[in-house]
Amino acid sequence: MDAPADTLNYFIAGYSVIFGVMLVYLISLFVRFRNLRQDEKTLEEMEDE
Amino acid sequence: MNAKSKWLSVLDVVTIVLFLTATILVFFFAPMERVMGLVQKVFYFHVATAWIGMLGFFVAMVAGIIYLATHRTRQDAKKWDIVAVAGVEIGLVFTLICIVTGSIWARPIWNSWWTWDPRLTTVTIMELAYAAYLMLRAGIEDPERRARFGAVYSIIAFISVPLTFFSIRIWRTIHPVVIGSSDPSASGAFDMTPRMGLTFAMSLVSFSFIFITLLWHRIRMGYLADKVEQLKLRLTQ
Amino acid sequence: MKTVSNFMRAMLAIVWKDLAAEWRSRELISAMLVFALLVIFIFNFALELTPQTRSDVTSGILWVTLTFAGTLGLNRSMAVEKDRGCLDGLLLAPVDRTAIYFGKTLANFVFMLLVAAIILPVYSVLYNTNLLLGGLLLVILLGAWGYVSIGTLLASMAVQARTRDILLPILLFPVTVPLVVAAVKASSGYLKALDMVEINPWINLLIVFDLVFTAIAFLVFDSVVEE
Repeated sequence: MDAPADTLNYFIAGYSVIFGVMLVYLISLFVRFRNLRQDEKTLEEMEDE
Repeated sequence: MNAKSKWLSVLDVVTIVLFLTATILVFFFAPMERVMGLVQKVFYFHVATAWIGMLGFFVAMVAGIIYLATHRTRQDAKKWDIVAVAGVEIGLVFTLICIVTGSIWARPIWNSWWTWDPRLTTVTIMELAYAAYLMLRAGIEDPERRARFGAVYSIIAFISVPLTFFSIRIWRTIHPVVIGSSDPSASGAFDMTPRMGLTFAMSLVSFSFIFITLLWHRIRMGYLADKVEQLKLRLTQ
Repeated sequence: MKTVSNFMRAMLAIVWKDLAAEWRSRELISAMLVFALLVIFIFNFALELTPQTRSDVTSGILWVTLTFAGTLGLNRSMAVEKDRGCLDGLLLAPVDRTAIYFGKTLANFVFMLLVAAIILPVYSVLYNTNLLLGGLLLVILLGAWGYVSIGTLLASMAVQARTRDILLPILLFPVTVPLVVAAVKASSGYLKALDMVEINPWINLLIVFDLVFTAIAFLVFDSVVEE
């Protein structure tokens, strides 16, 4: 029986995409959340004036 | 929904643990496939992301239907719009992962980056449709109209998916696409051993938890975004 | 059954209004026609249309032309409605909203058929192929209806967005893929005189598409135009 094909590079590429995109999305969620909280704080202060 | 619910924090931890477990299983426990080698392991998360991609779009459709059914009579119908957007956004992210990993898997097996296979093609069209959903929303300023139109389109887009799948599948069986392949017998199919089965099941479960956790977080963010928008509107009046 | 006859009268009134308005100005049809003819000409230079390859690509060219011209017509037809405030006027009338939807869809259907009626003989002449086949006409009827039924609904949304012109094709093309695939394969089947066994799945798919999306549009249109 032949040895399995050497597809290590594709395996790495695949998992880089999976973890990479998930990480980017998580970061985007964090950043957007933080910006929204800042906006909320600023706007509430403006409203109190 | 300002203070983060204690349950969400618990869910965060559970999800992380499950995901780490699934990753370890994929990397160290699942056996290497006989013909395809290591790239076959991409399959575990590739299918899992396809699953939660579809789930996200399905949630968006259901939320859209509920919104349309209740928006004239209930004040709090807006929350369904927030759910819908969250569903679409998460669906888009994970469907993208699915498409790219599908292409990566195809390359060593069929010797080409794209195979016009019915599932992958349908999923890509679906991704484009939901990108269109976001573009539709981006072009409408009135929040109420944006929610209504979004709901209508999310229903149309989801219903079109099975039709698209069947049309491409019939197209493929009548006119099989001839693709250059290094191994004429390569079909991408493989038999699953019990270890593979366990890894696969764990992948599906952990990604399902990821979906619920992310959806909850994204919905919370949606509420906050809505509050900020309301504040802005009040201040500019 | 008074409501049914009211419905029909409202619907036909809207069809008549659109057709009569178009007859006076003819701007929509002429734009669609010129565009369609240009597309056919461009295809001649873009693709190698030798007699052998022609039989394979004819139905593809036909449907690309029809869908692009159709999108043009849909966009214009709803934009005119909105810009002249006709839509608001219609909505004030004591008419069932879905009658408005069906009226607009029927009018758009007629426009698309008119375009097809002209480009089929033109294409036949330009490329020496006979496109005037009964089966092909059936496919055009089914395909055009499916296209305008979903297109009218999406156009009435797209026209209210800022990016109205580019938005309609972006919304429409992904969800009409099954329709276009089925229409192209069915047309191709009739042109090559294939066995009905091979054409039937496509005709069935067209019928299912038409039924499903007409039903959805019927249910949902109210929510699109309520203000």
